[in-house]
Amino acid sequence: MFPKEKRISAWKKIPESSRILIIASIIVIIFLTPNLAEGYESTWNEININSNNDYNAAIIDSNGNAWVFGDDGIIIQGEKLANWSIVDSPTIKDILTADSNENLIVAAGSDGVVIYKEILSNEWINIDIDNQTRINSVSINNFDEIVIVTDLGGIKIFKNNEWLEINSLTSENLLDITFENGRGLISGSSGLILGSEDNGLTWEIRETPEIIATSEIISIDYYKTNRAYAITSDGTILKSTQESLTTTVGYSWAVKEIESENYSTSINVNLTSLDVLSTTKILLTGQDGFVALSKDGGNIVTPQLLPEGSKNQTINDIAMETAFRGIIVGDDGKIFYTENGGEDEPVGFEIIDLSDFNEFVDFTKDNLWEGLKSTVKIVIFGILLGFFLGIILAMCKTAPTTLKQMIESDLEKTLTLFWLVIPISIFSIKQSGIGLGIFTFLSIIFISILVNHYINKNKTETEGFLGVVIPEHHRNKIIKILGLSLLIGIPISGELKVNGGAELIYSALVDFHDFKLGSNTPKLSSQLGYIFAPIGNPSAFFGLIIGIALTYLGVLFVSTDGSFSKKKIYAGKLILLISIWTIILTELFVGFELNKFDLNINNLMKFSLFLGLGFFLTRRITPELFRKKAKLNDFNISIEPWSLRPLNSMATLYTDFFRNTPLLVQFMFIHFGIQLGKHIQNIGVDFTSDLAIISSYLGPLDSLFSPMIDYINESLFGPGKRSYLSAIFALGLNSAAYQCETIRGAIAAIPSGQMEAGRSIGLTYMGTMRLIILPQAIRICIPPLGNEMVNLVLNSSLASVIAYTELTRQGKLVVAITFQIFWTWGMVMIAYFVVTWTLAILLRRLEEKTRIPGLGISGGS
Amino acid sequence: MNDEVLIVEDLEKIYSGGVHAVRGVSFKVKKGESVAIIGSSGSGKSTVLRCINRLIEPTNGIIKLNGEIINNPLADVNDIRSKIGMVFQSFELFSHLKVLENITLGLKHVRGMNKEDAEKIALEVLARVDMLDRIEAYPGNLSGGQKQRVAIARSLAMHPEVILFDEPTSALDPELIGSVLQTIRGLADEGMTMVIVTHEINFAKDVADRIIYMDKGIIAEEGPSEIIEKPKTDRLKEFLSAMDEE
Ligand SMILES: Nc1ncnc2c1ncn2[C@@H]1O[C@H](COP(=O)(O)OP(=O)(O)OP(=O)(O)O)[C@@H](O)[C@H]1O
Ligand SMILES: [Mg+2]
Repeated sequence: MFPKEKRISAWKKIPESSRILIIASIIVIIFLTPNLAEGYESTWNEININSNNDYNAAIIDSNGNAWVFGDDGIIIQGEKLANWSIVDSPTIKDILTADSNENLIVAAGSDGVVIYKEILSNEWINIDIDNQTRINSVSINNFDEIVIVTDLGGIKIFKNNEWLEINSLTSENLLDITFENGRGLISGSSGLILGSEDNGLTWEIRETPEIIATSEIISIDYYKTNRAYAITSDGTILKSTQESLTTTVGYSWAVKEIESENYSTSINVNLTSLDVLSTTKILLTGQDGFVALSKDGGNIVTPQLLPEGSKNQTINDIAMETAFRGIIVGDDGKIFYTENGGEDEPVGFEIIDLSDFNEFVDFTKDNLWEGLKSTVKIVIFGILLGFFLGIILAMCKTAPTTLKQMIESDLEKTLTLFWLVIPISIFSIKQSGIGLGIFTFLSIIFISILVNHYINKNKTETEGFLGVVIPEHHRNKIIKILGLSLLIGIPISGELKVNGGAELIYSALVDFHDFKLGSNTPKLSSQLGYIFAPIGNPSAFFGLIIGIALTYLGVLFVSTDGSFSKKKIYAGKLILLISIWTIILTELFVGFELNKFDLNINNLMKFSLFLGLGFFLTRRITPELFRKKAKLNDFNISIEPWSLRPLNSMATLYTDFFRNTPLLVQFMFIHFGIQLGKHIQNIGVDFTSDLAIISSYLGPLDSLFSPMIDYINESLFGPGKRSYLSAIFALGLNSAAYQCETIRGAIAAIPSGQMEAGRSIGLTYMGTMRLIILPQAIRICIPPLGNEMVNLVLNSSLASVIAYTELTRQGKLVVAITFQIFWTWGMVMIAYFVVTWTLAILLRRLEEKTRIPGLGISGGS
Repeated sequence: MNDEVLIVEDLEKIYSGGVHAVRGVSFKVKKGESVAIIGSSGSGKSTVLRCINRLIEPTNGIIKLNGEIINNPLADVNDIRSKIGMVFQSFELFSHLKVLENITLGLKHVRGMNKEDAEKIALEVLARVDMLDRIEAYPGNLSGGQKQRVAIARSLAMHPEVILFDEPTSALDPELIGSVLQTIRGLADEGMTMVIVTHEINFAKDVADRIIYMDKGIIAEEGPSEIIEKPKTDRLKEFLSAMDEE
């Protein structure tokens, strides 16, 4: 056997800094590698009919037959979307628009033409309104009545065989009309949207965003009655959802920021038509052969390919039979047919012989490999994030900093924090947002520590902070003033002020009161809804927590007598007891309306339960009460308010939260709820564009840096990276809570003498932590941390719920394509096993490597 | 007099649990002097030592190092501690570091020396405690006596004004005690200022210039090493005879 040193020499010979660099670059490479580029091909097939007319409208009727209408009144029928032929037309006027329902097909166009046909009959009936009006759009309402819209605010309804004028309240040009279940929407020029709740007899103007006030809303469409989308001719997508129980879809409209277009609100294409296939899936068409699909309600709009040679015609209309099967029609006699929702397919896709395992593996291994890579990516960053956060939290939890210390020996620092750092940070948050606020906070702390260090550089005795020393006989006064300022706040200038604890609590309670939860009955239990108040008004909730903390500190500081020791609350136990009984008795008696009060089994049970609980608590809290000769002094509670450790409390709050909620819910809350991925992406995009600006000043170096910046921007913050970022953070934040506990336990296992020994040679607390305690603690916690990492890999499969395409989701996709459930999930399982098992083995090796000779029991070596 | 390195005046310590461990202790240590503190278990010896380098905060009293008051809340503890060496009963070597690294750690990170200078000093002090042959070993692979000698070297390396020993031999097997006591004796001969808490009465008599006997938190008797032979107080007599019986 070689001595151990020789075996690992190659790696060890590399200088330490280079080793770190190598590991860092490996990580960066893994982080940034984009998924493999794939070839795609169109799934639109061109249908050739001997006609070169421009086709303007298409529908698919309830029998599954397609109808295409175009210039010169041309009508084409596509029987079952298969047999295509030109049919006789009752008109030679240009047909521009069409609609159908279970009974009718209707088409309309220029020079007042309106024709319709009953599904069962073969005969087209001509009901032109006149000879000159250009009809922009036609639709059928719930009563099989035909409604048309024209320029200059014209709406007409075909009721009892005659055209009836409807008041549109506007003279804008009306461009599109649609009905769903008796409700109607009309879109028009100047950003106009009209809505009707009565099958189109009366219309009212709906609110639309300012930004599209001059745009033409060219197409509008419902999906069932729970979503509606609209597009403008200049490429903006609008969306409407049901905002509350009392309104319907279509009342309020929002412009979509389109992620794939760098958050612009426009896709910069002249759009012509829109079809909503599901609540989130929409198909768009436009000029120059534009067909695009969005599967997430317009966040990411992906242009799709049309067959070679027919790429430049304007596409005018979409008709989909299902979300997958349908046609689009366009100028110069173009009709395209798809069975794949129009979505591009990776080249080479074909249904394979599933009975052949060899081919199956061949076919799926790319998918699974991609999934595995994606899993590894989020796992690595989840682990790193969790580990660093975990260490910080663990150090906060073990930090000995008490309030007493903050006030007694670090009064100057504490004052700087409360009177300088926090007010300035709050000021900058109010002025320019959270990001800059946090930045200001950190930089003032950093700068003041530096300045302090500089001031005290040549002094043997450090005094105070930033050169300020508060003399002994003033300290108590100053502490009281600090307390007062925490209670009532600090005015900055004019309207601007930092709120004090009292005010924060008050305004939070006012905000919560506005919910009026459980207002129907005075019973306390019906107000249990208030446990959800933090979500109802998060900022008020944070205000409340901070307010309580500030009030606690404020009261404590104001009432100080300079001793920072224990405090007695006279008769504290009795006060507690009285409050508990007040709650119980209110619950039992105030809530009952006396006439309804009867002694049924429910009420009896409730009574006995509550009274029992009351007596149990009484017994627990004040056993003295049951003793003879109890004195009032026996009920004092003695508390040690000064021994509170603020850092510890904050870290505990964090870990308790993350350890007591399911990871799956955390994933969904983080990704869908607070949209962390989106926010990080936005910050990242801002940041990289700032970098790009800086880089542009660098002259020749720019050509080196800007591709790198672009690459990072694209691969980290690019379109579709939201779930990636959210997944990393959800895993990391969750894991941090668990890793924190492990590391904290390991720190606690290091004998206290080690800290004393470190301090006794003159190291600071942090220095001892970093150089002595943590290196030993981390070694202890390698095995449990290894378990935690394995858990993290396994937990990463939950990222599939936020649509991050990691291994599990790839498995689902493969099953969806191949229906090979056993093989697919078996292979996914093996893939996971290989990853975690390798990890476990590596960790075992690491444990052996880092084991301190002569320490602890190990199974031989 | 400025040859008094360490002055302790009216030192008092009440632990947060209410234990009144030290009730007004005063003594002075001159430069080059070695003072032994003896006393029964729980008499507050360790508490006095810990107060001196502020591992715990005294409740009352003044501690001066070279004339400077070191126990006001505004003084720089880290700087003070680096001037006061401390040797613990349980060694407290940094078990993840090799012997040499144990000693250079303070020099590098507190004194800000570079690696070469730190190692030069480390080798010097290791030679003084006769541990040169094991500089590459991990503490876990050393005997108790060797560990304690390394710990002594660790505090020597910082060039302290005074070294405090808290029962440096109590955790050692009898046959290992000799080498550690030998080392400490050597330091005394070299003129190192030391305060030694010990249960080794004979050693204290041998090495110490002065002996302080503590009982129940106060100094019950104090004087040159002869007081061991001729104790004045009954309490010390009792204590010494109890020690003899062991
Ligand atoms: N951290 C502490 N908290 C509370 N009481 C303490 C603490 N440390 C020591 N004491 C108490 O203070 C008293 C003096 O303890 P100290 O350790 O100074 O005694 P000692 O003279 O060093 O004893 P020994 O010879 O056994 O080491 C004892 O009664 C002890 O129980
Ligand atoms: Mg002791």
